[in-house]
Amino acid sequence: MPLLECRGLVRRFGALVAVDGVSLAIEPGEIRAVIGPNGAGKSTVFNLITSTLKPHAGEVFFAGEEITGLPVHRVAQKGIARTFQRCHVFPALSARENVRIAAQARDVRRWRFFGGRTVVAASLAVADEALEQLRLTRHAGMRADMLSHGDQRLLEVAMALAQKPRLLMLDEPTQGLSIEETDRAVQTLRGMLKKGDLSVLLVEHDMEVVFKLADSITVLHRGRVIADGAPDVVKTNVEVRRAYLGESG
Amino acid sequence: MIRFGIVAIVGALVPFAVPQYALTVIVAALIFGLFAMSLDLMVGYCRLFSFGHAAAYGLGAYSAGLILIHWKLPLLIGIALAVGITVLVAIPIAWICTRSTGVSFAMLTLAFAQLGYAMLFRFRDFTGGSDGIAGIPRPPGPFGMDWFQARNGYYFLVLGCLLGSYLLCRAIVRSPFGAVLAGIRENEAKTVALGYNTRAYKITTVVLSYGFGGLAGALYAGFAGYASPELFFWLTSGHVLVMVVVGGAGTLVGPILGAVFFVFLEHQLSQVTDLWPLAFGAIFMAFVLLAPQGIWGFLARVRKDSNAAA
Repeated sequence: MPLLECRGLVRRFGALVAVDGVSLAIEPGEIRAVIGPNGAGKSTVFNLITSTLKPHAGEVFFAGEEITGLPVHRVAQKGIARTFQRCHVFPALSARENVRIAAQARDVRRWRFFGGRTVVAASLAVADEALEQLRLTRHAGMRADMLSHGDQRLLEVAMALAQKPRLLMLDEPTQGLSIEETDRAVQTLRGMLKKGDLSVLLVEHDMEVVFKLADSITVLHRGRVIADGAPDVVKTNVEVRRAYLGESG
Repeated sequence: MIRFGIVAIVGALVPFAVPQYALTVIVAALIFGLFAMSLDLMVGYCRLFSFGHAAAYGLGAYSAGLILIHWKLPLLIGIALAVGITVLVAIPIAWICTRSTGVSFAMLTLAFAQLGYAMLFRFRDFTGGSDGIAGIPRPPGPFGMDWFQARNGYYFLVLGCLLGSYLLCRAIVRSPFGAVLAGIRENEAKTVALGYNTRAYKITTVVLSYGFGGLAGALYAGFAGYASPELFFWLTSGHVLVMVVVGGAGTLVGPILGAVFFVFLEHQLSQVTDLWPLAFGAIFMAFVLLAPQGIWGFLARVRKDSNAAA
């Protein structure tokens, strides 16, 4: 059984059909990239899965359970962690506290009003481990908004990891990064992903990043899936080259 | 904790060091300090700008006043019941107001406070209309206690409530719950995406804030011996919001200082001129422009600079 399964998702914005019957599945442990030209509907699919947007048709199943249209926080509680395309961190808090709050989200004792020292200690342990995995330990005490843009992106990934998700969703993790920063981010992400058996859904339009990270690729074009398969298969697919790489042949 | 102990000891010695008429102003200042601190839970920790916090103050004061007059319950029990009533009324208000954010949140809170204000005139027989309710007693008990009936005793009651509430609020903002509030303040969309039901956290914060505000109102009723419609009026909401901002939102101590500062300022200036609200406005503008972190933030910065220089 796939961990995540979308069936026939449709989302319209006025007259525009942004997502037009998209189905895709992610197996446990799979790292799947969703690619496509600008306006292909990648981000919309992403937001439909995380319930940030409600679909006009279709369903989303997670671990065999329907999660279509659940409140955003309930989807997160099921074990789906996401990052945002435009980096979302808590700017005035330390990097460590950013990740700690993320870790605390899955703790049943998160509602404690008083004390809660054990809650804080437990979430700090998770947070420090996540920071370590993203190689951010030496920046742990810095305010999040004082980190470099690349580190802020990795911080967001660390926050997602600290949520102990079963599915990690990354929305263009290298967007806006310099070439050096992208290289470093990709290396760090690859090191982190190869170690675990985390399932990942990655939206990205930097092809190099995709080929370095993904096991399988779904190609979107004008809201429809036009190809689906292993990276080298997708690479040679004629339809993809026409849509995405701009070849007229 | 050492600093807190010093403040508590100094506070306990005040009645023996100042003249009796000054003690009255100090009690008024401390009650308003508690009121401002309660608003800080919303404004400073959740970035929920309430423009109707007078509702909490008025509810606490009128509930306590009516309970003490009609049921003649012991003062402390009357105050506790008034806080309970304020909290109960706050739940639906919080539920409705947190459906929106920003300016609409401010307008909804204002609407509820003005609704309370209007109801005072609608149910004139019960609330005394524009006259308010007068002759609120301080009935003794439970256990025959009557120490709070005298001026000094009432001062200690107010001081104890303020210090106790401060400790509670400080524990709350430093707890796991408080960390979520910081998340909401910094980036609510992200906090939701992490799996927190932020609306539930905001409702809880508003209710807590009303509870402490209701306590301030109830203490005021016992202190002044009367409650008037102006407690519910939007001007009260505006004043307390200014006190929070000038004192330093998000610090708990700052708003208390802000309230104390303005109560004393009003007391001094109102003896000289009727135009004291002008000074109120000018000081507010000066702080927003020159020291947006407020009195407490300014003091913290000065101390940091002097540490750095040393």
